[in-house]
Amino acid sequence: MARRRTGGPLALALLALPMLHGLAAAQQPAPAAPAWQQGRPSGMAASPLAPNAPRLTVTPPDRIPVAQIRVPDGFRVEVWASGMPGARMMALSENGTLFVGTRTIGRVYAVTQQDGQRRVRTLLQGLTEPNGVAVRDGALYVAAINRVLRYDNIDRSLDEPKPVELTGNFNLPTDAHHGWKFLRFGPDGKLYLQVGANCNICRVDDRHATIERYNPDGSGREVVAHGVRNSVGFDFHPVTGELWFTNNGRDWAGDNTPEDTLGHVRRVGEHFGFPWCHMGTMQDPEVTGRQCSEFSQPALRLGPHTAALGMRFYTGGMFPAEYRNRIFIARHGSWNRTQRSGYDVVMVSFDANGQPRMEPFMTGLLDGANNQFLGRPTDVQQLPDGSLLVSDEQNGAIYRIAYGR
Amino acid sequence: MRHLAAALPLALAALAGAALPARAGDASRGAALAEPCAACHGPRGRSAMENVPSLAGQPETYLTLQLILFREKLRDVEPMSTLVRELTDAQVEDIAAYYAGLPPGFPPGQMPPPGAALLARARPLAEAAHCNVCHLPSYAGRDNVPRLAGQREDYLRHALQGYRDGSRTGADTQMNGIAAALSAEDIAALAHFLARRN
Repeated sequence: MARRRTGGPLALALLALPMLHGLAAAQQPAPAAPAWQQGRPSGMAASPLAPNAPRLTVTPPDRIPVAQIRVPDGFRVEVWASGMPGARMMALSENGTLFVGTRTIGRVYAVTQQDGQRRVRTLLQGLTEPNGVAVRDGALYVAAINRVLRYDNIDRSLDEPKPVELTGNFNLPTDAHHGWKFLRFGPDGKLYLQVGANCNICRVDDRHATIERYNPDGSGREVVAHGVRNSVGFDFHPVTGELWFTNNGRDWAGDNTPEDTLGHVRRVGEHFGFPWCHMGTMQDPEVTGRQCSEFSQPALRLGPHTAALGMRFYTGGMFPAEYRNRIFIARHGSWNRTQRSGYDVVMVSFDANGQPRMEPFMTGLLDGANNQFLGRPTDVQQLPDGSLLVSDEQNGAIYRIAYGR
Repeated sequence: MRHLAAALPLALAALAGAALPARAGDASRGAALAEPCAACHGPRGRSAMENVPSLAGQPETYLTLQLILFREKLRDVEPMSTLVRELTDAQVEDIAAYYAGLPPGFPPGQMPPPGAALLARARPLAEAAHCNVCHLPSYAGRDNVPRLAGQREDYLRHALQGYRDGSRTGADTQMNGIAAALSAEDIAALAHFLARRN
């Protein structure tokens, strides 16, 4: 369980020095500020903003705030499954088993269905932030921090899953910060994952702030995108096959800047600007030397500090025809913003020229008047019937949004 | 900075309990469940045992989170992991509610005498590390951040050593970063200083 923080880059250590001068003066090695505090201007050192506490216990069904959730006319929302503290990223097997990754609580859940009844199992436990889950050819892939595991014939071994250890093959960086993974198979059969920046803001080496793809056995590493601070959600366009991804903007650079973004990769290996440039247009106040004009532009801004995470293109037949090929994005919700933002699911549609535009889809979990939140949407997953699942990490619940009667 | 500091308590009040609680723990059920805990953590949650923390007055969220981490062996420390192995989530929340509601502090006669040199060494360290931001100016803690005021000095030392050596993490790794540069003397001074806040 003991895991070492890898040392932050020099630029970062220098930035952190002014606020920790007292410690440095005691002739100690330069202290590393917690990664989430890095880049915080000295004037904000006393800011009470801090990451939200996770909830690791079961939310009783009668306390799940489904009655507060709002969806557009014609849609309805229900609790599809619950009792899964920390439920985050979702993947569906060929047989209809839903796998659900987590972070702090270290579990992977499996939800099975028989005769309309759903059963929740704790499939795996004791892992370090097993956020990433993906299914291919009957095998479940799980990515925890610095570990990649495969469980063959998973639908037939739910009571006794046996891992094939792929960690050495993937050989991922061990950083805890932004070290949790998002996993998704591409139409090319490759396994895609991100390696986030191991800091809030710092210069990174070429093993960080990337989206990468591998052969399913962990060989053949290839960087698909550079300069992506931390993407915890991506999907492939149903027509073009292009990779589209969400990206979380840096903290401590203003309540309204930078915004999280939606991007797409037109050319393998292109660079999206981190750490020099945020959201395509904002030069970093501290990391200088390269210009925004050198980098690829995001397709759309997704709001400041909203923590845009899981996303999927809609390809189902249940929602009205115009919903086809639109993107649903779960916005987990802010911590580094005075007035909370996000805590919803948004929909991105495209006009005749292909220009994207964002609108609310599932709302009601943000109590703006009291600056409180009731839930944290984290991922979306389409079911074979065309309905849409939304995971709520805070309540350990999964909602199902359906259209029609 | 002065006006910022003045605004802090207000801002904190607005932040406290930013997530609505899912379920209120039941302190009276928790009291019954916690009877065996008293052997080490003391009657009414004030520990008189070396390296065993006082639990009285700790934030409910912090207590819940740590008990779950013990149960899931993500914080794998005996005998805690074994003792809480069979607890349900609701029982964990009840125990947390019980201890969170008890008055914090040292057992009678257990408060260590103040050491001027230790306090003088600790003050700039605590200021530089901004302990009072997350743990609050009162050091009473909030949400997943524990109370330090009135905690046993030897336990605070033990905890800081664990964070420094990487043998302990919290819900995240922020304390590891803060403790990384502390010497044994720094840790002793900070533990002495923080335990005596009130």
